[in-house]
Amino acid sequence: MSEKLILALPSKGRLMEQCASALARAGLSIAKSGAVRGYRGEIAELPDVEVNFVSSSEIAHFLQQGTVHLGITGEDLVRETIPDCEARVSFLKRCGFGHADVVVAVPICWIDVGGMADLEETSQIYRRVHGRPIRVATKYMNLTRRFFAQRGVAGYRIVPSLGATEGAPAADLAEIIVDITTTGATLRANGLKVLGDGVILKSQANLIASKLAPWSDGARRAKAAILARLSSWDWGASASPQAKR
Amino acid sequence: MIAESAQRFEALEAQAQRLLATFTRAGYEHVAPSIIQPANMFLDVVGEPLRARTYVFTDPDGEELCLRPDLTVPTCRLHLARHPRGAVPARYCYNGSAFRYQQGGDTSVHPREFRQAGIESFAAADRERADAEVVALIVEAVCDAGIGSFQLRFGDLGLFHALLGALSLPERWRRRLQHQFWRPEAFHAELNRLTSAEALRAPALKAEVINRLDPEQPTAALSEVEHYLERAGLMLLGTRTLPEITERLLAAAADAREAPLPAATANVIESYVAVKAPARAAVRELNQLWRGHRIDLSEPLRAFQRRLDDLDDAGVITDEAEFSAEFGRNLEYYTGFVFEIVVPQLGPKSPLAGGGRYDSLLAEVGAPVAVPAVGSCIHTERLLAVLQGTAA
Repeated sequence: MSEKLILALPSKGRLMEQCASALARAGLSIAKSGAVRGYRGEIAELPDVEVNFVSSSEIAHFLQQGTVHLGITGEDLVRETIPDCEARVSFLKRCGFGHADVVVAVPICWIDVGGMADLEETSQIYRRVHGRPIRVATKYMNLTRRFFAQRGVAGYRIVPSLGATEGAPAADLAEIIVDITTTGATLRANGLKVLGDGVILKSQANLIASKLAPWSDGARRAKAAILARLSSWDWGASASPQAKR
Repeated sequence: MIAESAQRFEALEAQAQRLLATFTRAGYEHVAPSIIQPANMFLDVVGEPLRARTYVFTDPDGEELCLRPDLTVPTCRLHLARHPRGAVPARYCYNGSAFRYQQGGDTSVHPREFRQAGIESFAAADRERADAEVVALIVEAVCDAGIGSFQLRFGDLGLFHALLGALSLPERWRRRLQHQFWRPEAFHAELNRLTSAEALRAPALKAEVINRLDPEQPTAALSEVEHYLERAGLMLLGTRTLPEITERLLAAAADAREAPLPAATANVIESYVAVKAPARAAVRELNQLWRGHRIDLSEPLRAFQRRLDDLDDAGVITDEAEFSAEFGRNLEYYTGFVFEIVVPQLGPKSPLAGGGRYDSLLAEVGAPVAVPAVGSCIHTERLLAVLQGTAA
């Protein structure tokens, strides 16, 4: 089998641009290669590394399965996608870009609800009045369940939401949401507020290693070479934590 | 877990037939509810934590379905399909597969596909007798199957509810403590809050609204809150209503005016939760505790004792049975007596069988009135593993 190390990078959007410029600052030039519609690439300075361009959420899946050795993607996606995350991957470095907080947000008009501790009783009353538990719209089902369980909140039901989650309460599709935010402006524009203790995860892009990938000697050497390059990488210098989404 | 061999399948089936024979001999009707259940109704009842472990899927018509995570709710639905009013005495038994995602992976003691053999008794007038009958029959079934030594563990949420009912405290505090009983940390925190005048008077939120609300004037409060929202330019968003928001603000206003819970009252609640003793000794201990605080709980304690006597009469030895006031904390749909059978081969975290009283479930599934219900099921893979000596 190939001795090459496979590095998965985001294939589109702002995260792709930020990855490319951050790697360039570390002196690594990424070039798309081959005729495979630009989904493959190489790093001129590191011939033992093969780059795969895939979507951010797929990177989490590939790391989980061990079909790539390293990947750069959001911590939120990795923690959401991989249930026993610590057993399957290691977070090697924070990138300093791709900042996003995963938060619990409720309508601003809920002036009786300020924190997670209020949700359980709110839901009990809601159930008595409406005959069903409070619905939480989110694409982060696993993060939500874990966080709510830690905070002792059980009276709710998740409604999977794949986009425009912040509009779910106004559309009567859910009562509250769990979603990512950077400045909170989008939430406010949709009549929502973040609960005082409702920050589930302060996420950013990470360089992540799969523990399940076939770590041949060649792959190990290539990983060490990448890390050596990135040790001089000034993580976080270019992107402020409040970077716009 | 690797696909089971035909041999193991046959062994489980043969064992199940023996269990079912014991149940039907005792007058329980054998039923076979559907494996595939409508997801919505089912999951509203079991709650998100069990939903997280339920296999849910959408069929080509767009209908959301699930593989049943237990057989109790399907049996309730089957009963209601036959008797829409619900309150008709009936006793059912079943043996069938249930499915749950197992976080630690699919293992022989915690398989994701497992067979439950169990019984449910609905609308029996004498609750304690029905409780005892269910325990006695499950004990008989596992003994017939070949289990020699086991321990019974009892809990009783009814006693806790009775204790709260006997103490003098506002109804909303009672409801809150009852509800928080499932979450020991939140329960403890709430009890601390109620005993502190400072904490009660310092509502974390919107003091400027709360201070204007008079708990005695709920209608005036409603318009007060409405005006506050208008002035603040806040529109009601979503399905939650103004009365719901007002109800919680009124509760905070009432808390701010309430005298704190006396430390002695908080102590008796904490002491109760800490009781853990052999069942008969626990009755003495509880009597003493309550006499010391001049609370009259002789009625619920007599009921507890009567259940023990019924069990003795049925030939179940209760001397070694352990009562723990805390037991039942992690089993949300139970409402009263709960029990488990544990064996040393499996340890206390993987009971061989368990069950209890769930008087509100049938109403949640659609019965027009609350229907008393008690049931129990045996984890048949674990039973077989213990009998074959392969339990870890």
